[in-house]
Amino acid sequence: MNSGIDLQGSFIQLLVDLGLPVEVARVAWLPLPMLLVLVGATLGVLVTTWLERKISAAAQQRIGPEFAGPLGMLIPIADGLKLLVKEDIIPAKADSLLFTLGPAIVVIPVFLSFLIVPFGQNLLITDLGIGVFLWISLSSIAPIGLLMAGYASNNKYSLLGGLRAAAQSISYEIPLALSVVAIVMMSNSLSTIDIVQQQSGYGILGWNVWRQPIGFLIFWIAALAECERLPFDLPEAEEELVAGYQTEYAGIKFGLFYLGSYVNLVLSSLFVSVLYLGGWNFIIPIESLASWLSISESTPWLQVLTGSLGIIMTLLKAYLLVFLAILLRWTLPRVRIDQLLDLGWKFLLPVSLVNLLLTAALKLTFPFAFGG
Amino acid sequence: MLKFLKQVTDYTKEAVQAARYIGQGLSVTFDHMQRRPITVQYPYEKLIPSERFRGRIHFEFDKCIACEVCVRVCPINLPVVDWEFNKETKKKKLNHYSIDFGVCIFCGNCVEYCPTNCLSMTEEYDLCTYDRHELNFDNVALGRLPYKVTQDPMVQPMRELAYLPKGVLYPHGLPAGSRRAGKLPEEILEEAEENGAK
Repeated sequence: MNSGIDLQGSFIQLLVDLGLPVEVARVAWLPLPMLLVLVGATLGVLVTTWLERKISAAAQQRIGPEFAGPLGMLIPIADGLKLLVKEDIIPAKADSLLFTLGPAIVVIPVFLSFLIVPFGQNLLITDLGIGVFLWISLSSIAPIGLLMAGYASNNKYSLLGGLRAAAQSISYEIPLALSVVAIVMMSNSLSTIDIVQQQSGYGILGWNVWRQPIGFLIFWIAALAECERLPFDLPEAEEELVAGYQTEYAGIKFGLFYLGSYVNLVLSSLFVSVLYLGGWNFIIPIESLASWLSISESTPWLQVLTGSLGIIMTLLKAYLLVFLAILLRWTLPRVRIDQLLDLGWKFLLPVSLVNLLLTAALKLTFPFAFGG
Repeated sequence: MLKFLKQVTDYTKEAVQAARYIGQGLSVTFDHMQRRPITVQYPYEKLIPSERFRGRIHFEFDKCIACEVCVRVCPINLPVVDWEFNKETKKKKLNHYSIDFGVCIFCGNCVEYCPTNCLSMTEEYDLCTYDRHELNFDNVALGRLPYKVTQDPMVQPMRELAYLPKGVLYPHGLPAGSRRAGKLPEEILEEAEENGAK
């Protein structure tokens, strides 16, 4: 099979032709996709904060930002600049090492998880064999950072917020992982590419939502809890805890927490779209459409088209979920801490276990439909 | 066993019910997104204050007889009345009068009890200064009339909810001659007079 347009191959070939050794050329390629994804993720956050403001305003019958740039689109940049320029304060009795380390530990794993987010057949940084497992393990590093931040702030509200964040993350990680396991069982692989591939071929009908509706809901609820989005934003519940673990933070360190929470939201939405909504797949299978119109799969314009369509579809699905999260924010009241843990341990955990068993049973009975 | 099954079905029913309520709530918020913003874009648009609006107090120096009723009815004795007794005319002569609007609660008691009606409420509400002592208005400042919202060329006046036609919720883009729901005060007065004449 023709691999079609190979950006990496042609870039390396170009450098080799210019007289560089092959190894150096390979190393020169490495930072490019990483940088692209890093910039993409940051841009995604800017768009998300803008959407949050605009959609929140619309849901409350307001206008929202409108003077900073067209439709107030420069507001996120103004936000970021403000946080960058502000004084970076470390409280006198805080543990300055842990205080500084906290936000970094929260943010870095979230960005690292973008390693395995596919935007197309070959459009990802690395197709790891452990795939989604990497994300699950990375996302359990974040509570350590939150706990660190809460403990180091030397403030009772921060400590409580940090403890809550840790408890919440740990208890919602289990249903999250279990619903991912059900998906993995169906696609026989942890790799995100294989998971999307297993959903392709039948257009919208092949997506995992139809085979895993319960898993989809559990995953979404657990992902919201992991991101500390509104029905589950107890760690920073401002009415009770000022701002939770963020209370003592100012300037760019606060900005890192802010960035981290929004990147996490985008990332979770991307993962929902990859795991349940067919990733880069279009509503109708584009490959079979191409072969039906007798266009070769390796036609350059078709490759460019499918590639860009893949990116657009992935982002579209992810941002639909972001929209849903923002809408949920203005619909649902915050749950209490005991209700939160009740929901996590007494409802989501058993239901996700049942879902897992059900998937296993269905896989044994209908191997053709459930990836035998 | 049956009891257990019943518990399971009840629990499922409850979960489904909760999900339906969440769906209902989501549809409400979603519906709000397509509604018009009800906000008034303040420096460019302003609400027309109602007739009974209790804004900054206006004071007419010449009408004042320095009786100090306003001071006595004020919850915190706020108005400062500076007068001296004129022995020739045997009358009090008012020198200065001031009210500190940084402290005033705009209850309107002074306006209510002023025997000569030299105090009145205006429509002015945006008393902003960089120094709170600038809010201490003397008799000259108190005698100034505020700029009317309806006559300000910089401002688009917006009607308040009670002054909109029946069934209209948004003040934006009203037709020029549209009148508010219900009778106007003049009409009620007119009718009462007619009925009284009969």
